Amino acid sequence: MIDLLKTYGLYFLVGQFPQGPLGGLALTILLGLAALLLALPLGILLALARLSRRRLLRWPVTAVIYVVRGTPLLMVIFWAYFFLPVLTGQKTGQVTTMLAALVLFNGAYLAEVVRAGIQGIPRGQTEAARSLGLGYALTLRRIVLPQALRNMLPSLVNQFVTTLKETSLGYIIGLQEVAFIASQVNSQVLVHPVAVYGTLALTFFALCFGLSRVAYALEKRLARRPLELPVLLS
Amino acid sequence: MAQFDFSIVTTGEFRGWLVSGFLLSLRLTCITWILSLPIATAIALCRLSSVAMLRGAGAVFVEGIRNIPLLVHLLFWYFAMPELLPETARTWLYDHGAESICAVIALTFYTSSYMAEDIRSGIRAVPATQLEAARALGFGYLASMRRVVLPQAVRIVVPPLISQTLNLWKNTSITTVIGTAELMYQAQRVETASFRGVETFGVTTLAYLSVSLVITALALWFHHRFPVRAT
Amino acid sequence: MRSTSHLVIAYAFLWIAVAPLARADQLADIKHKGELVCGVLATDEPMSFVDPQTRTIIGYEVDLCKAVARKIGVTATLKQVAVAARIPELQQGRVDILGATLTHTREREAVIAFSLTTFVTGQKVMVRRDSGITTPAQLAGKKVVTVRGGTQEPNIRKAVPTVDVVTFETAPQALVALQQHKAAGFVNDEVSLFDAYSKLGPAQKDYVILPQNISTEVVALGLRKDEPALKAAVDGALRDLETSGEAEKLFFKWFGPGTRLQYQTRAFHIDSDRLAN
Repeated sequence: MIDLLKTYGLYFLVGQFPQGPLGGLALTILLGLAALLLALPLGILLALARLSRRRLLRWPVTAVIYVVRGTPLLMVIFWAYFFLPVLTGQKTGQVTTMLAALVLFNGAYLAEVVRAGIQGIPRGQTEAARSLGLGYALTLRRIVLPQALRNMLPSLVNQFVTTLKETSLGYIIGLQEVAFIASQVNSQVLVHPVAVYGTLALTFFALCFGLSRVAYALEKRLARRPLELPVLLS
Repeated sequence: MAQFDFSIVTTGEFRGWLVSGFLLSLRLTCITWILSLPIATAIALCRLSSVAMLRGAGAVFVEGIRNIPLLVHLLFWYFAMPELLPETARTWLYDHGAESICAVIALTFYTSSYMAEDIRSGIRAVPATQLEAARALGFGYLASMRRVVLPQAVRIVVPPLISQTLNLWKNTSITTVIGTAELMYQAQRVETASFRGVETFGVTTLAYLSVSLVITALALWFHHRFPVRAT
Repeated sequence: MRSTSHLVIAYAFLWIAVAPLARADQLADIKHKGELVCGVLATDEPMSFVDPQTRTIIGYEVDLCKAVARKIGVTATLKQVAVAARIPELQQGRVDILGATLTHTREREAVIAFSLTTFVTGQKVMVRRDSGITTPAQLAGKKVVTVRGGTQEPNIRKAVPTVDVVTFETAPQALVALQQHKAAGFVNDEVSLFDAYSKLGPAQKDYVILPQNISTEVVALGLRKDEPALKAAVDGALRDLETSGEAEKLFFKWFGPGTRLQYQTRAFHIDSDRLAN
């Protein structure tokens, strides 16, 4: 087991870097982080569209969200694979494909989280802001969203955990993330599948469990501190 | 853009492949669901029990499984676990469709851990007074659960469980990595043979969506017909 | 905060302002870029695989790609592709050329073009010795494993119509399945089989590669259709390698007597892109 870690440890952690593209655990974490950071603005936009009073905006967006949530992520990955180059005219790599699929998929899920977060802010906040003369956009930007996002923080961390697990599907398009590398190591070593796949499982467990504990601690902390009054003039 | 010819995938040999994959996906979903529900209920009850060891075991089960991606579960159950079995068990496994069996095992563990959490939340949502009253009337713990608490929890628990069923349906697509010949596997096979990505994946997406929409419609109907009553 | 609106605008630009590339001659594009992006499997020793020590991709096709790039006057960039994704990656333009153990078949000619044949091999089946199987026909009704997305599955089904085939994402993954007794046979081209066999070490006595070919595989570099300039350049580079003797040297470097595979002679020349039938 120690030999295994010594020989393949670096490959497992960073893939071929620097003699090749970044891979392994480093790629998993960076990809997950990038996907979540890009999915958040998309989720906010979709949530706002779903809460909009204009039917023309609400219905198509709701339909898109239902379609994306009803499709397996693997399918979304294959679509990103075929359509992304056509859409952007750019030649896209596996990382970009995976990133696009994750952003779209998580954006649709985050839309619901953000919607719940926004609807959880007391109406009094919006009413007070509007009565002070702040327009729709300003109310949203200065009053509602900052509070909503703060309350959503534990959910966002949990979504990050989910995104990290989702990056493992890159295995199927040959992305050199950590599960793919573990399988390659297993094919070379052959006689220790339990050790190799056990290590892979433990790595994910340590990462995801650790993060979910952070989310839990965040939740506790947010519940303790009273809601701060939003500052209108800064 | 080349002309799209959907008849390639809706007739003939390729259609047969896709249909057999679709049926296997459905079978995997149903079998996993039937196995997961009792396991999930047992785990939920463990986590709510007064025996610390049971609570701990339940927590370990749920946290251990949920924090590992389904893909890794599948790889583990198919490539690692069988090596630990004795020879006769292993040969039996391989002669009887190891790919599907290991897929069901991995999916069952994964789905039941998520369902357990939803069931636990549902049970906790039933006011504690219900359980206390039942115990006061002389019912044992399990009997109180079975006759008083669980029936009330059902209404609260069904919507999240339906959503887990939707996740299960979508998760069957991942079993392609261990060679399970379900819909996604067959779609890849058809795409390789026909060179027609858009048609193949278009039809496959519609197949997945059809069942997803049925499940979602079921959830909406349930919410409409059995709204959660304020107590 | 003004910086937020600037961020939003920059963000929007990131998503919108990517202009589609003008449709120009691919060879000119490559020369302009200064690099030839070569799609390789990196899981198929010795065609292309990852050297665990240096963590770089090396192999016969890797060397061929590098030589072709050198002759065109650019550098070669290697990109790992999955077997099932080879042709889409080429068609989408994510790679310029494929050196991914790609068999030249008539069906594939409809969607991509091929360079001169760079390797000729047969597809064979590796079985466990204790299964008592001596010909592929005896696999009827039994289970075989192979890699997804290649010609292996159609070929074995044609050879043995009642065989049960299970495919995996990579060939090494399928080999693991064979070793775990999950199947009776493992189908792949003979080079990969010989390589896998030689790596088994003491376990070699448990396996045998059936001598019968279930098909002949003519391997070539894959190119996009309707790019005559690039094809001419690649074919020209390959012909130069052949006449200078470098091609033969590469063959013996990866397949010759000093390697695990121990081919004593090279049974083909790099001079044609015609299919036999």
